[in-house]
Amino acid sequence: MRAVVVGLVCLVASCSGNDPLVIGSKNFSEQVLLGEIVAQLLEARGVPVDRRLNLGGTFICHQALLAGDLDIYVEYSGTALTAILKRPVEHDPREVFETVRQSYRTELGLEWSDPLGFNNTFAMVMKPERASQLGVTRISDLAAHRDSIRPGAGHEFLEREDGFRGLVEAYGLDFASEPRGMELGLIYQALVSDQVDVIAGSSTDGLIEKFGLVVLEDDLAFFPPYDAAAVYRPDAVAREPALASVIDLLEGGIDEAAMRRLNRLVDDEGRAVDEVISEFLTERGWLEP
Amino acid sequence: MDFLRFVLERHGEIGAKTWEHLQLVGLSTGIAVSVGVPVGILLTRRERLASPIIGFANVMQTVPSLALFGFLIPIPVIGGIGMKSAVIALVLYALLPILRNTFTGIRSVDPAVVEAGRGMGMTDMQRLRYIEVPLALPTILAGVRIATVVTVGLATIASAIGAGGLGDFIFRGITMVDHRLILAGALPSALLAISFDAVLGRIEKKLDVRA
Repeated sequence: MRAVVVGLVCLVASCSGNDPLVIGSKNFSEQVLLGEIVAQLLEARGVPVDRRLNLGGTFICHQALLAGDLDIYVEYSGTALTAILKRPVEHDPREVFETVRQSYRTELGLEWSDPLGFNNTFAMVMKPERASQLGVTRISDLAAHRDSIRPGAGHEFLEREDGFRGLVEAYGLDFASEPRGMELGLIYQALVSDQVDVIAGSSTDGLIEKFGLVVLEDDLAFFPPYDAAAVYRPDAVAREPALASVIDLLEGGIDEAAMRRLNRLVDDEGRAVDEVISEFLTERGWLEP
Repeated sequence: MDFLRFVLERHGEIGAKTWEHLQLVGLSTGIAVSVGVPVGILLTRRERLASPIIGFANVMQTVPSLALFGFLIPIPVIGGIGMKSAVIALVLYALLPILRNTFTGIRSVDPAVVEAGRGMGMTDMQRLRYIEVPLALPTILAGVRIATVVTVGLATIASAIGAGGLGDFIFRGITMVDHRLILAGALPSALLAISFDAVLGRIEKKLDVRA
């Protein structure tokens, strides 16, 4: 009995002395990939990590970070500006980024890294045959066909201000058919099998290329810039100084081409995330501290 | 208060989603009843088939609902994204209680009563119609009642595969960490389940010839 108690006390003590850093991500491939990058970089530097990847969306990640259940995840500047901070849409990438960084620091006590180097904006995506049949190349062209077009999207997009409702308002797109909400991972399948005509994907999605889909031009510039960057708790850096050097590596370290390639390896070729990332990090020589 | 304002603001959408939900539930329990009751009766006539068929319904019950919805997506014709595959999955779940209660209900009719019918010169069809089904009806209806209530709840998960319904609010509420949205889906769904249960319970009592 005593041995058990002593054992438990040691266990608790050792845990509190050496808490792993908790890394989060939202529920789509790019996010899981980015979370895995942070995790493997930390592990290579001897920092214990706990992966909480594939959490159910922006707001779950944000709440968990605020509550201290996560230490770091990758967020996008435009998402933070409109969806989390509920500010009006702005279009200058640097201005958006600075507003977000300042507000996070003063209002939420959270830190932003510098941008990672790519912008993942929402992309309204259609099949090329359908788009050319209707003569649609820009989002505003959809208005002429709002009686026949069936939109589909993940549940988060349908509820966000910078998502479906804002888009409908900005472009005057009151579609006759209700938008079809579904698991984010299913939207491309729904589009390709003609169950919907237009979906809200992400510009870096690997499946756009795989299925040869067209991205409609955001001609009224409705969507803000969505520069990816790491959001983290300042106390996590104090606890594990290695985190600062990992963030240094990431800043400006992943451009749009690199991100799209990683997404494609997972979504198109069906490779395992951890394998893709360890290859990527080895290639870059980032695994040696 | 906050929630009330939210409901007032979005009542049109809540109504539309509730209607979608009712369609999902009505369609799938309707199909499950029209398949489950005849098959259940047939099984009392062909008892050799009873254990494999009820066994199949049992196994369907153990498949996690989200997995079953997922399985149906790539299947041509019956599958896909939307209401069709959702209804198919919901029928598969509703089948077991209906099938089993019909089978058990008819089998537990007192054999002496059935024998009396035979003595009066009734054919098998007549015995079924005038003796077995009326006597088993409360048990059969109890199965339908369970199936309906369970389907109301399960249908919320169908929103993950684009079937619409009240699950849309629940899924959006979870991604947005917004309790008003979750409640806007969960409350009507609970109310639907309770009212179905009450109405079917009353019918069950009315039709009980033993009372």
